[in-house]
Amino acid sequence: MSHGDNVLIVGAGIAGMEASLMLAKSGKKVYLVEKLPLIGGNTIKNEESFPNLECSTCMVAPIQQAVLQDPNIETMTLSTVKKIEGEAGHFNVSVLKKARYVSMTDCIGCGMCYDPCPVSFSNEWEENLGEKKAIYVPTAGSLPNVPAIDSSRCLNLTGQKECNACAEACMFGAIDLTEADATIDIEVGAIILAIGSELLDASKLTRYGYGRYPGVYTSMEFERLFASNGPTAGEITLRNSEKQPRSVAIIHCVGRDETGYCSGICCMHSFKHAHFLKHKLGDVKLYNLYSDICVPDKTYQKFFEDIKKETQLIYHPSFKSVSVDGDEEMLTVHYVDASEKKQSIAVEMVILASAVVPGGDAKTLAGIAGIDLDEKGFLASRNDRLGAVETNRDGVFIAGCAEGPKDIQNSVIQAESAVGRVLTCLSANSSV
Amino acid sequence: MKRKIGVYICECGPNIADNVHINKILEAVSSFGETDDIEIVVKSYKLLCSGEGKEYLKNEIEENKLTHLIVAACSPRDHNSTFINVCKQTSLNPYLYRMINIREHCAWIVHDKEQATERAIRYIRGGLRRVLFQTELYEKKLDINPDVLVVGGGIAGLEVALSLASPQRKVFLIEKKEILGGYAALYQSLLPRQQEARQEVQLKIKEVTNHPHIQVMTHTRLDQMIGFLGNFEVGVSSIGDSGTATDMKVGAIVVATGFSMTAISNFPQFRVRDGDEVYSALDIEGMLSEKGQIVRRSGDAPKSVGLIHCVGRDERGYCSRICCNAMIKIAGQIKAQDASIKVSAFIRDLCLPDKMDQDFFKEVKAQGVEFIRVQDIKSDGLRVQYTGMDMHSVNADFDMLVLAPAMEPAEGTAGLASDLGIPLHETGFYQEAHQTINPVATATDGVFVVGAAHGPKGITDSVLQAQAAAAKIMSMLIPGEKIIPEVKVSEVLEAFCMGCKTCLEVCHYGAIVFDEEKSISVVKEAICRGCGNCAGSCPSGAIQLKHFTNPQIYQEVIEALR
Repeated sequence: MSHGDNVLIVGAGIAGMEASLMLAKSGKKVYLVEKLPLIGGNTIKNEESFPNLECSTCMVAPIQQAVLQDPNIETMTLSTVKKIEGEAGHFNVSVLKKARYVSMTDCIGCGMCYDPCPVSFSNEWEENLGEKKAIYVPTAGSLPNVPAIDSSRCLNLTGQKECNACAEACMFGAIDLTEADATIDIEVGAIILAIGSELLDASKLTRYGYGRYPGVYTSMEFERLFASNGPTAGEITLRNSEKQPRSVAIIHCVGRDETGYCSGICCMHSFKHAHFLKHKLGDVKLYNLYSDICVPDKTYQKFFEDIKKETQLIYHPSFKSVSVDGDEEMLTVHYVDASEKKQSIAVEMVILASAVVPGGDAKTLAGIAGIDLDEKGFLASRNDRLGAVETNRDGVFIAGCAEGPKDIQNSVIQAESAVGRVLTCLSANSSV
Repeated sequence: MKRKIGVYICECGPNIADNVHINKILEAVSSFGETDDIEIVVKSYKLLCSGEGKEYLKNEIEENKLTHLIVAACSPRDHNSTFINVCKQTSLNPYLYRMINIREHCAWIVHDKEQATERAIRYIRGGLRRVLFQTELYEKKLDINPDVLVVGGGIAGLEVALSLASPQRKVFLIEKKEILGGYAALYQSLLPRQQEARQEVQLKIKEVTNHPHIQVMTHTRLDQMIGFLGNFEVGVSSIGDSGTATDMKVGAIVVATGFSMTAISNFPQFRVRDGDEVYSALDIEGMLSEKGQIVRRSGDAPKSVGLIHCVGRDERGYCSRICCNAMIKIAGQIKAQDASIKVSAFIRDLCLPDKMDQDFFKEVKAQGVEFIRVQDIKSDGLRVQYTGMDMHSVNADFDMLVLAPAMEPAEGTAGLASDLGIPLHETGFYQEAHQTINPVATATDGVFVVGAAHGPKGITDSVLQAQAAAAKIMSMLIPGEKIIPEVKVSEVLEAFCMGCKTCLEVCHYGAIVFDEEKSISVVKEAICRGCGNCAGSCPSGAIQLKHFTNPQIYQEVIEALR
């Protein structure tokens, strides 16, 4: 196959996976490069997605399976793009594929290698609420269902000890500690960057007490707490006390002033969280502190109207006026109300709906891809109005939260739109 | 004919082998086939999904001339397609194969080895019985028409047409009005950079009108549609006296019929009489386009303007997404016209969901526009009465009021939805196939919905959706290539059908039609998705879902419980 039949997609979240499947169906060969050892992105970190509260993992699993089994899609996990040269129709790309140390073809995912591993440390994918071994899958149900070894933690790989516990436990000889990182060169005709986004580091906003008080959680930490395949198997118990909270305040718009934009999805997941808490804990006092109710889809307002009966809505006019203090046992949320009076509520748990911000690798990748970042640090589109997925470099497209905060539906729409642009670009640039 | 079933038990390393007695399973299974016309070959293998395992299976099928295949191993989710592909490399029809899960459903969850063994044996025997009732099924290849019909010539429809039209793919664009451009052509400027709207839209209209592979039919509406993905037959006719009818054959249909807005005089809490200086946001866009400034009927500019957001939001039950931005834009334009004009915007919630919206809002606010958040609001002529968030009631008088009414489904949406067999969402907009992972498709394969017809949205999002639908069509309907419809579809057994029409009610895809002459239901295979609702609801058992027939399921259960 020539350049013109190949496409590089960076990021295997919902946008990257959707684009891969559509391009593969069109007969193109797709290189799907993903930095983590699993595919699925942020969507699979949610137990249920709004507005239908469908099981996210169930919704996404057929998509993940289709991607992994499609003969036209070559998925490269633990991989990052290091260099992009050339032009639309003829890009030469260098990919760094970090060693997994476990064979993708021989491993059957039996999980016998985890127990014997002597190294245990905090699991970043689980928002540091749980631990993992040096040989690990990020979470139960990860796809591909093949573990990876963290080379910075493994005793053997760091030269601390001649440990072969995992290899000895493997019946299939699937573990190879001598595997090396590899540089893979590929030739493609077009590129889609779908690297997603992150949440603003809440510890930077000291007035919310994140990191200081154990009862203050980020929205993503709460997602993992609630998840049935998460570190507490879905039990909502507080960090230090292991007790269930009897009162929870969910604070919207965390970081909205600092970033300068509304992230569009946090009101929805904040109400979703209120709903989860009500259903899981029953007798719990709930508060949603908001400045604007942002429900911009035809289905979202009804979602909000149904759930608002389960919580107490507290309007506060200024994001900056909200702060949290307290101690190990109780928290106090301070805010200024519409009459400019200071108010406070006492709760056992606080959930911060933090702003959606560009992923940490956005700047580096933009540099490698030769494209601009916008004023907010997201990958920039050429013309917001009529070309949101096109960048300033021909042949390079963007999709999903990499372009700006958005819900799953709009990420998928952008991914599909990018596919259309790619197909047009490939036929325009193909050699006759 | 003598049937020879191959049963292959995968040891899956220690996963299955350690948790069940493989030899007992081999014994129990081989005794199943002790009849004249069934021969059983049963073996175990270390790892069937490996490269060697697949080769082994392939050879086994061919050397033993197997007529049926059972693989007892892990979850079909992991490897059903693996073994289907093995069958496809042999002469064995893949629908005469069945995968039995004795790992996730057995070895991994039953901790007593004897019990696990018995369960595995029952599952396999059930599968054996079932596979004997399975029949060969064959994929069909259908020719398709790559051409596309676009209904609606607004910004979304124009974008779809331009994205798709090519020498290999013709696009028919029908529009009920006499001109193209829809609402976008009426706006004065586009956010966020405030580009000139009309110019951009006019360029698109020109491109479409002059395009060699796009046929535009204005003042035309859709009359009826039959067929399925790749093979639709559509009838359209010109609106008005001549009523000329045209038939066309297309492979896909894209609905881009946009939206409508209720007249602001229809809201009882906002009293508007003839002659009142009360306008809708759209009226103001038109005024700015025509006159370049806002003026009262008397010809002079207002000294104060009140802007009321969210008109109709409660009645309709949804936020229309674009009006806050549209009203902020208008507020800014009024201030730019004359900074001394007092501008007050009455808001419920500020809806600023895109990354540049909040900056724009701040810019306009800095120009001196007052934003007042209200709990409730009403107006009578030019007097506004509202309750602020501090619970105080206030009256305010203005020289001019601007109301932002909700975006609503376009007229004719319900009728068109019915003609195309696609459902409506409870808000009255079209319902997409799946809220999150399939947002431009509909329940009818090959019919797509884009733009404001799908739900309130602005130009950027309408254009993105249009491009998305175009891409779906590009990947599904490739000129010169055939499509392969679903094989495991329903069929109606004529002799048993009573003509009760229950199946017609439960089919969400319009895949069943009623033959009035014979008084029976008929399944249109090319449309059927194989969901099985009809088979489950038929009171006479006349509908069978291929590969999931009643005998197949029943026999499997009976045998497993024996």
